Amino acid sequence: MSALPEASALLFAEAAALDECRWADWLALFTEDCLYHVPAWRDEVTPTTDPRTEISIIHCAGRAQLAERIQRITGGRSVASLPLPRTAHVVSNIMLVEEGAAALRVNSLWTSHVFNVKRQDQHVFFSRVEHRLVREADTWRIARRHALLLNDRLPTMLDIYSL
Amino acid sequence: MQPQELAGLVDDRPAEGVFRVHADAFRSRAVFEREMATIFEAGWCFAGLDCQLPNPHDFFTTRIGRQPVVVQRGGDGVVRAFLNACRHKGAMVCHLQHGNARTHTCHYHGWAYDSAGANVGIKLLRQGEYSPAFHAENHDLHAARCESHRGFIFVSLNHDVPPLAEHLGGMATFLDLIADQSPDGMELLPGTVTYTFRANWKFQVENTGDVYHFTSTHPSYIDVLASRKAKDGAAADTTTYARFREKELVRGSMCFGRGHSAMWGSNPTPEARPLHESLDDVAARVGEARARWMLYVRNITVFPNVQFAENASLQMRVIRPLAPDLTEMTGYCLAARGESPAARERRIRQYEEFFNPSGLATPDDTTAYEDCQAGMQAGRIDWHQGYMRGMAVVRRGGDRYAAELGITPETSAHGGFEMGDETIFHGPYRYWRDRLVAGA
Repeated sequence: MSALPEASALLFAEAAALDECRWADWLALFTEDCLYHVPAWRDEVTPTTDPRTEISIIHCAGRAQLAERIQRITGGRSVASLPLPRTAHVVSNIMLVEEGAAALRVNSLWTSHVFNVKRQDQHVFFSRVEHRLVREADTWRIARRHALLLNDRLPTMLDIYSL
Repeated sequence: MQPQELAGLVDDRPAEGVFRVHADAFRSRAVFEREMATIFEAGWCFAGLDCQLPNPHDFFTTRIGRQPVVVQRGGDGVVRAFLNACRHKGAMVCHLQHGNARTHTCHYHGWAYDSAGANVGIKLLRQGEYSPAFHAENHDLHAARCESHRGFIFVSLNHDVPPLAEHLGGMATFLDLIADQSPDGMELLPGTVTYTFRANWKFQVENTGDVYHFTSTHPSYIDVLASRKAKDGAAADTTTYARFREKELVRGSMCFGRGHSAMWGSNPTPEARPLHESLDDVAARVGEARARWMLYVRNITVFPNVQFAENASLQMRVIRPLAPDLTEMTGYCLAARGESPAARERRIRQYEEFFNPSGLATPDDTTAYEDCQAGMQAGRIDWHQGYMRGMAVVRRGGDRYAAELGITPETSAHGGFEMGDETIFHGPYRYWRDRLVAGA
């Protein structure tokens, strides 16, 4: 039986946790040694591919680094995060591109609507996302989340809730 | 605006210990138009780096002020700059951010130019039944003035400007402190990040030299460093600010003529710098003093549009003002050629974490600029009090630290980290005022 329904459910759960600011739930979806990666672009058509020698928009190796971001945006000590924007993440075009008993690779499109409450304006980020899911304690977890942000001229800022 | 009104935007009374900048400098459309005409489009602006053009016919496109420009290395190896606008109808002739092209052919009516900007073809010229007056005109792309210092390329749309060396003055030494970090020079790492903020460009100029804001704007970043320290101990000392709370730090500033400014200071965690691994070699090449300065925190603005911030990592920032209340920034990671793979990777992680608009520090800066822009709509408040820290110690000329570098700035000031010097803004605003008053 295809794992597509389970993979889709995980992606929807991730989007919902972000939209509802359930940060602990969001973090729990990732493995301890996960890689969260948003590459930058070299030029009009080519994203960077090697984060050891090229720049990324976000590169977090391990859940602890994601937890630092959560600490920062929820700690009340970052003016950029007060108040947090309201977001609606729409996940679609989900495709299972590799399927094994212990690992899955899932491609999807993410459209993130971001309303900046303080400035009363809004923007949309759209990205092509590849998730690598692994089986861990009878559930799927995110071992790698690679988001290729297509509109990379950022209005002021971007953080994990924007993608 | 009349020259007298423009001069009045800066209240500069050093003998009385007063320096203020009028809020209209940040919110007025008329001031913005004047800045574009007199500073950005009539004086030297930074365009890019020589290492972006390694081969003949390599080019990159940019804007100088509001105007589209191509910077290209010709077949003869000379780097030139010309307006990116066809002489026939004004269409852009070069459409890519960077590339290599022997010719640029306009896609509209087919006029062609070589990599030095010279017209090499007008489609159906003979059949065109042109008048003699047309043939008498020059059909080349409009040339801009283009000069370099140690691979830093500057362009002026106005040919009547002093030589670049005179424009840079002592600021050139701070560029040398970057260029000399490797015997093989510096390189730009692939991947740039561009962002906009809804505030005046001069907030960016100020913030890069602003020591005072660090502890109040970035407590969330400082907290993250503290958490790492609690968890990993000395293994967490991987960034300049890791031991920020443990050391007595010196901070100083220098202003140079023509708007340039440099903030500098001792580095709490010098061993976190990628350069640290080659320090002995560097000192043998440039001397002990300059090697030490390379490890210092140095945030510099080459007025008006480029900044090099070397603190958590080394960032080149290009400022592009779009409106009085809208600015575009592009960030580039500069690195010493030949550094070890481990140092390179650490440099990149430091850069992303601190400088990216998706990192742990910059969003708090840009949000603060936007808050300033919004707050300045309080139109009854014309003058703010953000330019007077350090006025009791600032001096004309250089201090002993400038002497270490063998340079003589117009003003210098130094003190502890907590002094949070603001005299660093005086030089830029004096030059800014003078350019606005003098006109294009």
